[in-house]
This record gives sequence, structure tokens and C-alpha cells, in this order.
Amino acid sequence: MASGNKTSNAARKARIEEMRRAEQARERRNRILVIAGSVVAVAALVAGGVFVVKSQDGKKDDTASDSKSSGDSGHWSTGKDGVRTWTGKLSRTHVEGTVKYPMHPPVGGNHNPVWLNCNGNVYTKPVKDENAVHAEEHGAAWVTYTDKASKSDVAALAAKVRQTPYSMMSPYADQSAPIELSAWGHQLSVQSAKDPRVAKFFETYVQGAQTPEPGASCTGGTM
Amino acid sequence: MRKHIGWVAGAAAAVLVAAGAVTYAVAEDDGSGAARTPAADSADAGFARDMAVHHQQAVEMSYIVRDRTKNEEVRRLAYDIAQTQANQRGMLLGWLDLWELPKVSAKPPMSWMGMGDMPERGDGSLMPGMATDTEMRKLGTLNGKQAEIFYLQLMTDHHKGGIHMAEGCVAKCTVGVEKRLAQGMVDAQQSEIQLMAGMLKERGAKARS
Repeated sequence: MASGNKTSNAARKARIEEMRRAEQARERRNRILVIAGSVVAVAALVAGGVFVVKSQDGKKDDTASDSKSSGDSGHWSTGKDGVRTWTGKLSRTHVEGTVKYPMHPPVGGNHNPVWLNCNGNVYTKPVKDENAVHAEEHGAAWVTYTDKASKSDVAALAAKVRQTPYSMMSPYADQSAPIELSAWGHQLSVQSAKDPRVAKFFETYVQGAQTPEPGASCTGGTM
Repeated sequence: MRKHIGWVAGAAAAVLVAAGAVTYAVAEDDGSGAARTPAADSADAGFARDMAVHHQQAVEMSYIVRDRTKNEEVRRLAYDIAQTQANQRGMLLGWLDLWELPKVSAKPPMSWMGMGDMPERGDGSLMPGMATDTEMRKLGTLNGKQAEIFYLQLMTDHHKGGIHMAEGCVAKCTVGVEKRLAQGMVDAQQSEIQLMAGMLKERGAKARS
């Protein structure tokens, strides 16, 4: 009996021991599962977070461009001949995205790395300010017109631009006069293409003394 | 001591004479320099304006062909033309700057040569020899041998027009350094036309006209 007891005692101990081991094994397994699960969850959170931040970054590039500064400061002063001259600072840094300029059409400021082709190019659709400003930096005169400009004026100006390397032309909605002539730091509003000041503006400002980067190209820019 | 004073007086007199001579020379230079500055409608100014435009297209054409072929011979010629004509263009525009003259004129191109009423080819071809915008675009779509041949043909025409205009300056320009540059263009472009004729022949082609 005693031996029987002993035996059963020993057997019970063994069984308890076995159960404890099993319990420990289960606990260890659970712990591993919990840790592994946590690791996966944390990794997923990190990856998701990075993705969200990144995709927001992308969006920011597009929307933040609205608020990108031209780096310009100053104001217009108008000469006797009606030509406005920007008095102050015109910045010249290359930037991506949209730039907010203090004047329309812009006559200088930070701009896109790609210049607008200005080899007598006549554009029939609006162009990007940021490319056009770069062309002005290269010495181009920019003719812009609204839908208030007469068809014959638009045709006459287009003919002049086509014959004049270092000039360009495009429609432009956001300007006060029907026809504006712009060059780096200078602008002239005219009502008609026949205004004698148009020829004078071309003579003075096409590759004129105002050009910040003389000798730079009007080809090989925007395609 | 007296001898010493004599030396000083002599040196002072020499300095005064030299200063006077320099002043006189500078004044003289200023006077005649002002007279030498060409007028906006002169051959000197007209050639500087028009050849700067003419050259620009040769530069552009050469850049295009270098992107369209791997042929060393054509690429080297194009490199040479682009470098040379870009530099010469800079000289022409620089002179206009020095003379404080506009880069454009309300009169038609080559009026200074009596050719203001010449028929215009249009489509971006502003002066004789210049390619049209359509031809420039076509060059940008061709590849390899096709691009080489078309470039050599366009540049041959371009040089012919350029030589004709440069001869106008040789005959009419009054500024020595500009006349010499124009003569240099005539000589160099004539020799390049010969070179290009040979290159066209090697490619089983010839000049357009």
C-alpha cells in the first residue's frame, strides 16, 4: 500500500510536473504569439504611417506650391512713356511648382528650371508663369492679351513676334489691359497693337540692358 | 644740391608732359570713338543683328543632330559649328551692347543690304538659308544616317545664306574687327560646304540645291 501510495504519489507528482511543463509551454507559446503579433501590428502601423505621411507629402508638393513665394518685393513706378518699372527686388531662384507673383503677368521672381521657348514662339493657349519668367530672365519680351484684344491686333502682334527671336506671345486672362508687353522688371499696357510704343518696347527690351542673363537661350527649353 | 633740384624738376616736367599726352590721347580717342559708333541702320549694326539670329539657328540645328546620331564625324562637325557660331553670336551681340543699339529693328531683316523687300519663306525662316520650323522639327524626328544627311543638307543651305550675308558686311561694314570676322565666316563656311559635300557623297546623298 505504502509502496502503492508511493507509486501513486510519484505518479501524481510526475503528472503534476507534466501538467506544469505543458502549462509553461502553452504560456511560452502564447507569449511568442503575442510578441510576434505585436511586432507585426507595430510594423504594419509604421509602414502604414510612413505611407500616409509620404502620400500627404506628395499632396503637399502639389498644394503647397500655391503658397510658394516669388521672393519679390517692391512696387511699380511708371515712367513718362507709360512703361512700368519694378522698383525693388526680383528674385532668381529655380523652384518647382506654382509660384505666387506680386504682378500679372509676372516680370521676374523665382521661376521654374525650364525656360519657355521664346524664339519668336506664338502660343495660342496660356503658358505657365513660372516658365515664362525664366524666358524673361533670358532677355525675352512677352506679349500677352485678353479676349478684349481685337483679332486684328492679336494677328499683327503674332506676326511681329514670329519675326522676333527673343520674344513670345500667349493669351493671359488675369491682366488689366487688353494687351500687355512684359520683360524682366518692365511692363507696358497698350490698348492697340498700333501704339508706337510697341515697337519702342521691343527695341528697348528684346535682349535689352535689363536682361539678367545675357546670352542665355530661347530654344531647348519647354518642348 | 642744386643738381638734385634740377633732377627733380626734370622728372616733374616729364611726368607733366606724359600726363598731358595721355589726356590728349584719351580725349582724341573719345572724340573719334563717338564718331565711330555705328548708327542703328548701318551695315555694321544690321549685320550684327541679323547674323546673330542666323547663327542661332545653326547652333540649334547642331544641338539637335548631336542628339539624333552617334556618328563621330557628324557630331564633331556639329560641335564645331555650335561652338563657333555661339561664340561669334556673342561677339555680335556684345558689339551692339557696346554701341548701345537695339538687338531688333522695326525694318525687315537684311534691309541694310538693300534686301529688305526680299520674299519671305515664312514658317520661321527669317532670312536666306534659314530652315523652316517644319524642317527643324523634322530633323528632330530622324535618326542615324537619315538625320546626318538632312542636317548636312540644311547646314549647307544655311552656310550659303550665311556666306551671302557675310559678304554684304565685307563690302559695307566700316568697323575693322567686324569686317574681319565677316571675312572669316565667308572663308570658314565655304570650306565647310566642301567638307559637307564630301560627307553627303559618302552617304549617297547631295546638297539640296
